[in-house]
This record gives sequence, C-alpha cells and structure tokens, in this order.
Amino acid sequence: MSMTITLTINGSDRILACDPHESLRTVLRRAGYHSVRFGSDTGETGAAAVLVDGRLISSDVMLAVQADGHEIETVEGLAVPGQMHPIQQAFIDTGAIQSGYSTPAMILAAKALLAANPDPTQDDVRDALSGILDRETGYLRPVHAVLRIAAIMRGEEPDRIEVAFLDALVGADGPHHDRDALTAIAPRVVPSDDVPHTRVVGQPETKTDAIKLAKGNPAFTDDVDLAGTLIAKVLYSPHAHARIVSIDDDAARALPGVHAVLHYGNVERVRYASGGQSYPNPLPYDQVSFDNKVRFVGDRVAAVAADTEEIAQTAIGLIDVTYEVLPAVFDENDAIVDGAPVIHDEPDMEGAHDPSHNLVHHLKADTGDVEAGFAVADRVFEQTFRVHQVQQAPIEPHVAIAAWDSDERLVITSSTQVPFHVRRMVAPLLGIPVKQIRIIKPRIGGGFGVKQEMLIEDIVGHLTIVTGRPVRLELTREEEFVSSRTRHPQTITYKTGVDADGILTGQEMRIVANTGAYGTHGLTVQLVSGLRGLSSYNCPVKRFDCKVAYTNIPVPGAYRGYGAPQALFALEVHMEDIAASIGMDAIEFRRLNWTNVGDPLDIAPQLGEGDQDASVVPVVTSSGLEEAVLQGMRAVEWDRRDDASWKQPADRPNIRRGIGFAMAMHGTAIPGLDMGGASLKINDDGSFNLLVGATDLGTGSDTILAQIAAEVVGVSTNDVIVYSSDTDMTPFDVGAYASSTTYISGMAVKRAAEQVRDQICERAAIDLDVDAAVIEMYDNAAWAPDGRSVTLEAIALSTLHQERQHQIMANASYVSPESPPPYAAQFVEIEVDIDTGQVTVIRLVMAVDCGVPINPATASGQVEGGMVQALGYGHCEEMVYDEDGRMVNAAFGPYKIYRADEMPELEAILVQTMEASGPFGAKAIAEIPKDGVAPALRNAIADATGVRINDIPFTPERVWLALQDA
Amino acid sequence: MITKYHRPLALDDAIALAARSDAVIIAGGTTVNADPGRTPVVAVDLQALELSGIETDGESVRIGSMTRLADIVESALAPSVLRDLARRDAPNTIRNAATIGGTIGTADAESQLLTGLLAFGAIVTLAGADSTTTRPLKEILDDTQILRGTIITSVAIPSNGLAAADRTARTPMDQPIVMAVAHRDGDGAVVLAMAGVAPRPVIVEPDRIGDLDPPSDFRGSSRYRTQIASVLASRVLARVAVGK
Repeated sequence: MSMTITLTINGSDRILACDPHESLRTVLRRAGYHSVRFGSDTGETGAAAVLVDGRLISSDVMLAVQADGHEIETVEGLAVPGQMHPIQQAFIDTGAIQSGYSTPAMILAAKALLAANPDPTQDDVRDALSGILDRETGYLRPVHAVLRIAAIMRGEEPDRIEVAFLDALVGADGPHHDRDALTAIAPRVVPSDDVPHTRVVGQPETKTDAIKLAKGNPAFTDDVDLAGTLIAKVLYSPHAHARIVSIDDDAARALPGVHAVLHYGNVERVRYASGGQSYPNPLPYDQVSFDNKVRFVGDRVAAVAADTEEIAQTAIGLIDVTYEVLPAVFDENDAIVDGAPVIHDEPDMEGAHDPSHNLVHHLKADTGDVEAGFAVADRVFEQTFRVHQVQQAPIEPHVAIAAWDSDERLVITSSTQVPFHVRRMVAPLLGIPVKQIRIIKPRIGGGFGVKQEMLIEDIVGHLTIVTGRPVRLELTREEEFVSSRTRHPQTITYKTGVDADGILTGQEMRIVANTGAYGTHGLTVQLVSGLRGLSSYNCPVKRFDCKVAYTNIPVPGAYRGYGAPQALFALEVHMEDIAASIGMDAIEFRRLNWTNVGDPLDIAPQLGEGDQDASVVPVVTSSGLEEAVLQGMRAVEWDRRDDASWKQPADRPNIRRGIGFAMAMHGTAIPGLDMGGASLKINDDGSFNLLVGATDLGTGSDTILAQIAAEVVGVSTNDVIVYSSDTDMTPFDVGAYASSTTYISGMAVKRAAEQVRDQICERAAIDLDVDAAVIEMYDNAAWAPDGRSVTLEAIALSTLHQERQHQIMANASYVSPESPPPYAAQFVEIEVDIDTGQVTVIRLVMAVDCGVPINPATASGQVEGGMVQALGYGHCEEMVYDEDGRMVNAAFGPYKIYRADEMPELEAILVQTMEASGPFGAKAIAEIPKDGVAPALRNAIADATGVRINDIPFTPERVWLALQDA
Repeated sequence: MITKYHRPLALDDAIALAARSDAVIIAGGTTVNADPGRTPVVAVDLQALELSGIETDGESVRIGSMTRLADIVESALAPSVLRDLARRDAPNTIRNAATIGGTIGTADAESQLLTGLLAFGAIVTLAGADSTTTRPLKEILDDTQILRGTIITSVAIPSNGLAAADRTARTPMDQPIVMAVAHRDGDGAVVLAMAGVAPRPVIVEPDRIGDLDPPSDFRGSSRYRTQIASVLASRVLARVAVGK
C-alpha cells in the first residue's frame, strides 16, 4: 500500500496504510470497524455510512485519502461492552432492528441529526434516514426510534410502545374509541377470548440478538477475518445464450497473485438443482458448477481466486473465452412454441418435461369438471394478467467464505437461509462427503428467499480445495441483481363462472411461468401459485393448468411469498372486476365466496410438495378474516370511497383519490415435509441454551423461539441463550422459508422445552415432596401448590454437580400434517395525477390473522416491512433488459426501492385467533404481507380513476397510457 | 482508477494539476468514486481550497463551488426552490459530501438542482491558468469542454424573482422522469428549464415543447416524456405567472 493517512476514529488517532483508490469503507473495515457494512460500491445503500466531522456520509464513495486528517465516528465508538448508548437502546426498544445490517448507519444518522436538532419533526427524521436503504422494516420503527430518543433526551414522555388492545368489531356495537390514543408503533392486537393466558408468549419482547446488532459487533459472514484469505471473482456471461467454444486461461493464471482459475475445462461435471430444498431436490437437475454453455447474461463462466480483489478482477479480464452466440428467447410465451431456441440441449440434463420446447413442467390439477361449472354459471369472466420480474435485493448481498479447519474439514461460513440443505447439496459437487463439511450461518443481512439457494458455496468450496487457502466471495450489487435469484414472471389467465347470486360455480387458473435459465424453484413456486390462487374462495369445481418455461433471463427462485403474490395479484383483481361487472360491492362479493372455518382446501392435496395423503382434504381450522376486514376498513376510513368531494378534491383538479382492497390467504409451512429440530439444555444458573437449526434472517425468529422455550420452562426470554445455526452444533432444520419457522421450528422448541420441563418437575417433585404433575413453573422456579418452590438454579446445580447427576436437556423435532392458513385484509390509499399518470401512495393498512402472535412487536415489523416490499412489487420495482437480455437497471435508484423520506403511512393490526395446531396458537406471518398490496393498489387506481390495469408495476407511463385509452 | 492523489493548498496549484490530461477533479467525490473506471487517473481534491460558502449582496446569491448540497438545503440565503431541488438531488448520506461544483462539473444529466440553476440563469465562475472567467451555466452544459483546465470556484444566481418546480416520478423522491423549473426575474422575464427531455437539462421555449425529441428509456418513452413535459411546463409557468 502506497500511502499512510491519519484518521481520528472515535476519538483516537489511527495511522493507516491505504492505496489512493481505496474507499473509506474498505480501509475502515480492514482496520476492524465491522459496523461499516458493504451494500454496494456506489454509496446508495448507506450501509457504510459513517460520521465524517459529524456529517453522515456514505464511506463507499469517499476515498480514504479524502478523509485524511478528519474525524470519523462509527458505532463502535458509542458504547463500551456491557453498555448501550441511549440511541441504540431506543432502536432496540421500538423494534427498529430486524437483520441489523444497516442499523449502525441508522444510529449514526440519528446521532448526527439530534446533535444538530434536538426537536426534529417526523419529516426531519425521515430525511436523516433518507440515505440508508432498508429492505426489512418499512422504516416505521427506525423513524419512531429516533423520535423516541429525541423525546427522552428533551425530558419528555415518549410515545407508548406497549401493545394496544383493540375491541373486536365482529358482532359488536359501536362507537369504539380504542383507536383514539394509538401511537404509531404500539403493536395493535385484537385479542381473542379463546387464547389462554401466557406470561412470555404474546409479549413484545426485544430481540435476543439486539446487542450485537445495535452495537455493530462482528456478526455477519463478511466479518469473518481469516489470515491469508483469497478473494474470489466470477466471470459472468455477456451473452444471453451461447456455447463456450473454448476458454484460454493462460494469461489469467500467469498473473502474479492468481492462485486458481476454474471453469468447465477443469471442474468435474456434476448435475444439480440449486434450489435449497429437502431431499430429494425437485427436478430438473439442469445445472453444473461450470458449464460449456451459458444461458443468460450473468450466467457463470469461470471463477478466480487471487491475493486481492484488484488482481482477481484483472485476472477475470484476462480469461479469453470464445463464444458461439445463439439466438435467445426472453418471454415465457415465446419460449414454448415450435422453433424457439432450445435452451437446455445438453444430453445429461434430467427431469424436464419437454426440454426441446423449453417446457420444464406442465402442471395440472382439478377438483372436477370445470366446464360443467361454467355451464351452470349466469356469467363467465376471463381475464389475463402479466406479472413481472423483481429482485429480493437484501442489503447484504450473497457472501460466503470457505476454509479448511484444523481437522481438514471444509468450513463454509455463508449468508444462507438453508445451511443444512447447502451442506447436503454442495457435498457431491465438491466430491467430499457430508461429514467433512460444516456450514455456519452467522447473522444474515436480509434474505427474503434469495438465500434459499445453494448459490455460491460451491464456488468458494472448489477454490479452497484447489488452493488450500481460505477463499471469500461477495457479490457486487450488480452481480446480486443479475446472477442470483429473482421472482418468477408469469402470464396468468383466470376464468370464473358466477351464478345470479354472485356465487362462484367454476374457476380455472392457467399460468405460463418463466423460470429463466434454470429450473431450481420452478416446480414448487408454481405449485404454490396454483395452491394459493385456487384456495381463497370456495368453488365447486376448480382447474389448474401451468406451463413452466425456460427462457434466457436471470434465474427466478424463491422470493418471500413464493408464487402467491403473483397468483393473488391476478385473483384479487379478477374478483374486484367481477364484482364491478355484476354490480356487487367488492367486499361483499368476496365475503359470499371466501373460505371460512370448516371449509375444504380442496385443491391442496394435488398441489402439495410434501408426503400427504391425497385422499385427506384439509379444512380451514381458524380464520379471523371477517374481523380483519372490519378492522382494516375502520383504520383506512373506507367510507371515504363514497365521498365525491374527497375523491376529487376541488382545489387540486388533476388529482383523483381512491382506496383499494384485497384479501389474502397464505399457508403455514409445507405440510408433511418441513421439519425443524431444537435442543434445549439447562446451565448452572438455571438459564438455558437453545440450539436451533432454524435461520433467523432478521425476522426475529430466534427471539420468538426463545419466548416459546421461556414460556414452557417458566423463565424470562433473556434466560434463554439462542444459538443458530451451524451444521456441526445444532439440530437439523430445513431453514427459513415457506413461513415455517414459527410454526414448525416453534413446535420443535415447544416439545423440547416440554421434555426439559418434565425433567425439571421430576427432580422438583422429589425436593418438594409432591407429585410432579401438580408442579407449576414460573419465575425461574418450580412451584408446589402450597407455595413452596425450588429455583431452577438449585435444580441445575444439584443435577449437574450433586445428586443423581444428569444433564437436563432434550431434543425434539416437528413435522406438521397441516398448513393452517393465515388470513389478511389489505388496504391501500392513493392519489393519482390524471395528467401524468403518477400514483402517490398515501397509506397501507393490513389487518392480519396470524393466529396468536408470539411477539406482537416483531410480528408487526414483519407486516410493515413486508407491505413495503410488496408495494415495490406493485408500484416501482422492475428488472428491465435491453434487446440482448442485459439488465439495464442493475443498481438501486434505477431499480427503485422505497426510501425513508417517501414512505406512505403504515399500519399493521394483528387479529388473534387460536390455531390449535400451532405453538401457543400461532400461524405464519412472514409471507402474507407480500400478497395483497399490488392488487389493492391496482384496485385503488380503479377506484380513483375507473381505469383497470392488468399488468404491474403501476409506473406513471403505464397508468397514463391506460388513462389515455379510457 | 485513482493511482495518485493530490490535495492542493492553493488555487493556482489546483489549476496547474487540473491541466494534466489524466487529472480528475474531486469535489465531494460521490460521482467520481462511484464509477472510478479502470484507467489510471490522478485525483485533485479541492477540499483544502476555501471555496465553500453562501453569501448575498441583495442582488445575487453567490455559492462557493465546494459548498455541499446539504449546506444549500440548510441555507436561509438560497432560494427555497433551489434548496428543495438540492435536497431532492441526493439522500443525506450523499448530500453531505456532494457539492454544487461537482454537480456542475459532472454535468449530471438528471440533476434537479442543475435544472433549477439553468432556470435561474446561473453564472459560473471558472478559474483558469491565465484568467478567471464567468460563463452562463447553459454554455457549460452545451459544451463541457469549457471546463478543461479550469476550477469552478463559484456559482451566482439572482436573489430576486419567483420560481416553481414540478416533476413526475415513480415515487415521491425518485429521480424524475421529467421535471420542469420556471423562474421569473424581477423584470418579469421567464425562463423554463427541464430535465428528462434531452440528454441533459435544457432551457426550453414554452411554445416549442412539441419540438423536443426526448430519448426513451424504461421509465418513459419519448412520446410520454413530450406529453408530460407540456403538462409540467404549464403548471410551473402558471405558478410563476401568479401575481404578474
């Protein structure tokens, strides 16, 4: 390194070596300031924002030498171990932290703002956070964390953050005044009388991993520093479809500092499917680590490991690849016709339906003769929709580090949602047995499904095996967009028969789905589209027909919602338009047809992935939908739809206002397949270690699993130390997907905890001289009915050291035969500028029945953040390509995700139901917020303008064109 | 890629360095550092020169070239429309480093602030090896080669007059697809400037909007941009016409 600079970092002078081109982020991270995080090299994510002379600046786009002589503050300087800065505490208390990846930057933003302005308005706070993109929280809680600490520092009473209980509206008489004193972030819960009393479950506990996240401690994959680590770079295809005629890697290998160059010529050809799913992975097996054909711009060609990133990048440029460019096809409908370019013509691929027509799967299901259903209908409606491609875009991109450990086992630390699947799937590609591989999942900076994939672990594994050195690969933002995974585009056609009373008589859903260059999740996502698209409403006969096509676009995979957002966009628009056509109220028409408790989920047995008995038709076991609809209507002030002066404000002639609705119904885990395991053991002081294979992506799942264990064994949440997940240390779990963690892993934890409780009671029964069955556990002790007790600490010390010694501990696992649906009512309020087509979103309200929310604060955070992601899907996010299939907007900004200073108002309402099959009554929450926003937004545009659009997203030109045609 | 770094202490030294063919001027650095390229270049960082500050003599407002966008946003001396455009140009993590000089020097094609400065008839002061000159911003945007070998030292705009801005974008703080700024000076002369209708911000004659031929991209076709340009132009012109 050619220069030395002097930075005053957190009050101390540091003399650091650097090169003139290096960013301040690079140099700070190298100096050990791990709170400064990588989101992109272009500064717009703000994950690397630090204070420079008191100003918040993205250190991605400041040279380290620019900072020479200046004062730098990072979160590391705010509080010593064991202490917490009040701003950090406010972020924890308000539930403002999810993955925590960008939390340090937000905390610094708050510090800079409050130093300049102790009495900021909400707009001031939003502006202060405007440069820090957040894919998780929807910004509501971070904004209010800052307002809260500002109030506290002024000596004022901060807003309440305790749970606010709302009166049930079903069957009740108004008026209700329970909304009058609501604060923005008090979790709203509509309690159910069916829910038993609990001590820990149901409380808005702060996150168990809050300290490491609020303080910016090293906790993420990229924070692993191993001496001698090589940097990997991947050469990606510049062509959408081409055969690799030859690769000349001589010049790259000859470059000093290059340690390995891998490509199809020197890596064994082992077929696989990259989707992170249970054994056996669904077909087709159409990938190899490095192929002699490329199928999209961004497909892998070769990988390099070198001493530095610069050398690796230079080496990539020296690899000479000769391509035979082939015709490409991008649209799913064009891909499956005769004469289309054949994308998978390799002889050894396995498991595609008709690869010569790019047809990966042709899925069919029905519950009877749908034509007969149409024949008895009063009217039949048919409507076709196009849903587009978007990206999960976690702020932390894919990153993995491989290294040999001292036993010469391969350790891969990876930001993955599926560590156990990765271990099993990567082993054959690397040619080493599963037992020789350990996968460690540290904290994850967001995933949303994109990390439910064995995406880059094979590359770092191959490179470590070849070089013997630790190897790190971190995707750039552009690489994350084009080379990782995305949401499946689909062309969806619904055909629905309705009788004279508005009752459905037959419903058909036809899909042509685009799975891009590889099958990966192509089967299962589309199964979920059919399942979700044909389960919300009762209908005597239903038919599903879905063709899944290969094309030359970047690969779709798992994305939060997993086929449901596509299906429910089409379904909820279709239902809205049918209601309008037959002159019925949009909600009343749905209410006539939606599924209630006891109704069959009749298409489910045909569209399940798991080991189900096809003859057993599941039924709805709990539903709070009616209550959710009424709560949402009240919160969004639905009646304004009937007020002409509101809809067309007299002082703003170009503005039309509207409110839209959509209902959503989701699943809870994959029945008969998803499995979670947990292990719980007692420590000397009566605390517990909870080991889970479940992977907390930032959702707070570790926290709710701790709450479940704490509830059972009668301790506080912070008496349960959670560790997740590590294939050497924790029980198996399928990982974080399919809305399974609370329900499946939660039930595994509950069962393990119940066994531990029984072991404790057995010992306490002897000490207290009572029957074990009468013992109750709470307040860190076991209690006899007469009020005598023995503490867990005494039991632990006794059992570990003194009498009848044994380790009180238990393992348990859980698979569910059921998948009880959560329900939700989604409302969107908007304004449309009818002269320009610009849609401004004012408010999102979602009332959701997730059973019993284990933690109302984290559950609300899931809803708030999920709605905002879903708003991006409907409103502004899109992957756009040029005619050669090259993505033209692979950066935040052009690829637009919402910022803090443009967020609509958000409100989440949790409607309790008691789901008997779930842990303490819980159902899923994580994915359903993705389902209703796009259709409710579309229906709001229709309400405001009368224009009915069947393609997303609702960008200004699309809306304007529709207005011109109206 | 930056291979050498200079932080000149005197303007003359900066001008001499800027004359090198491989020189890249760093003001805030947020644009240059986001897209460094692979060619070796020499960075000339202007931070040590005292070119920051906003002052007014009642007739005009002079903004030093190294004034950060955040300082413009917070300045009571800058016209409120320009303050808002500076805020909209970048989120605060960028705005705290990016400067008005850098915004002009990089001739950001979609900059709302540049469009505003065009409408205000901004005059840019350039310090060169032999002399200091002033040039209208419009001339610089027409031919950025004017900047070669010079250092932008300040920008001056009239302090009187009336201005209005409007835009169409996917979301409230997104980079506009089309935006318009109108400025009416004390004598009643109106200038309309627009972005999103040409490869760079331009001054547009209100009755010649139909002659525009905007480049299409995924956010807006040429036809759409032309249509929206008319709508936005009408709105901002009407707003500055109020009280005429």
